[in-house]
Amino acid sequence: MSQEAVQEDLLNRALEAIRSWVQVEKTPQPNRVDVVIRREDLLTVVETLKQIQWGYLSAITGMDHPAVELGQEGSAQEGYVEVLYHFCEKDKVLTLRVSVPYSDAVIPSICGILPSATLYERELSEMFGVQIEGTPDTNRLLLPDNWPEGVYPLRKAFTGLEEAKEGSNE
Amino acid sequence: MSEKFVIPIGPQHPALKEPSHFEIFVDGEEVIKATLRLGYVHRGIEKGAEQRTWTQNLYLMERICGICSHVHAMAFVQGVEALAGVQAPPRARAIRQVVAELERLHSHLLWLGVAAHEAGFDALFMYSWRDRETVMDLLELLSGNRVNYSANLLGGVKFDVTPEQKVRILDGVSFLEERVRYYLSVVNSDETFLGRTRGVGILSREEAERLGAVGPTARASGVPRDVRVDVPYAAYSEFPIKMVLSQQGDLQARFVVRLEELFESIRVIREILNNLPESELTVRMPRRIPAGEVISRVEAPRGELFYFIVSNGSDRPERVKVRTPSLANWGTVLATAPGHKLADVPMLVAGIDPCFSCNDRMVVVKTAR
Repeated sequence: MSQEAVQEDLLNRALEAIRSWVQVEKTPQPNRVDVVIRREDLLTVVETLKQIQWGYLSAITGMDHPAVELGQEGSAQEGYVEVLYHFCEKDKVLTLRVSVPYSDAVIPSICGILPSATLYERELSEMFGVQIEGTPDTNRLLLPDNWPEGVYPLRKAFTGLEEAKEGSNE
Repeated sequence: MSEKFVIPIGPQHPALKEPSHFEIFVDGEEVIKATLRLGYVHRGIEKGAEQRTWTQNLYLMERICGICSHVHAMAFVQGVEALAGVQAPPRARAIRQVVAELERLHSHLLWLGVAAHEAGFDALFMYSWRDRETVMDLLELLSGNRVNYSANLLGGVKFDVTPEQKVRILDGVSFLEERVRYYLSVVNSDETFLGRTRGVGILSREEAERLGAVGPTARASGVPRDVRVDVPYAAYSEFPIKMVLSQQGDLQARFVVRLEELFESIRVIREILNNLPESELTVRMPRRIPAGEVISRVEAPRGELFYFIVSNGSDRPERVKVRTPSLANWGTVLATAPGHKLADVPMLVAGIDPCFSCNDRMVVVKTAR
């Protein structure tokens, strides 16, 4: 039981430290907390987690949310990419969620704080077309050399290279 | 004014059996910097997953890696089961764990051979691979397959362990226990071999934590990080394992940690087989999985394997994100290489037991024929 209490404290400790930047907080699984934060607060929050030595960056996930309604002119809601930073400590997972719109798909690099993020950031950038501001290495990590510029395979709109190529040629 | 050279290694190279490309910046014999390029065996599995049903994906995930196929499938089914609010029966979870630990045996022995080969110790390479056949035979005995054993189903496992199979598995692991003990003495006493491993590629505990190392790479630097202990899954809470740590942080420690881990694997396999819970092998799973997001973590032979699965309530996933342990560990190679001799680089690379198939997976490349 007491161990349970210690475990409970783990997530609270992180939440208390970053509370002032949290926009929305959710508990999707008992051992997890997801917090939505603003892009401009990302570096501060990551720095805070590092200072209180909470967990390690386990993964960065990209999620594509295409525009809701593709109207002729200006869709109802612009498409956006959600970037998830998963931090693990023992059995607990804290996920920072930051959304960036297609038209301004830029996010600051956290490599200055956590150098281990470099490969994850390169992957995110190639697969989702999110520009990582200040990431130390922007060379291609996974996609082949002849892969066309501006084609992001893990965006929902991508269904195959030939179609994508036609799209980019018009 | 020393001149700097860039030595390109790969994608095809004489040592590693899988493709990757390194650029090693050297000053004379000394490495100054190393960069990495992956993706040569990229198969688009994350994208492909979005176009397949949950059941089809089970088989797709298992094919991410030919070495640790079982843990991939296990991470996936456990995540999907959590989304569906279903728990696999106790016997199924125990069998999952037995297969996972047999897989660790084969994976670490495979690695021992490869790493010995990198060090120029081919006798050790051949012996360890000969012995590895024992565990491959056991996996085949259980599942009918040497790789991609396909033990998992959504909601359980596909096969039981019969009393005859149990006897043969216990025999096999006892033989391997002896062999592993012998290999442990070899890696700790062979002077030539120690010359390649002792004090080479030292990764301090702080560095390992900072770089987010996982698995045996982290544990060899004294970082207590093992998903089997931290977040027990399958039957690991009923049949726990002890975490194996070393404070040394060099290549030798990575050999010792991996080999000592195998004693734990063997011990737990014995314990489970002698106390296998009685129950059904499967429970019913819905075809459509309720909407939600789940994180599923398991300890692959190379370290923490991380799955993030999103369901939109249909019969297909919305997103499956896979972060494999090798990707987490590459940073340690790039960080420790500078200051070493060029000739140490292959050993440093082998030290994390990199798995390229695992790294490379995310894009459907429909080539124009």
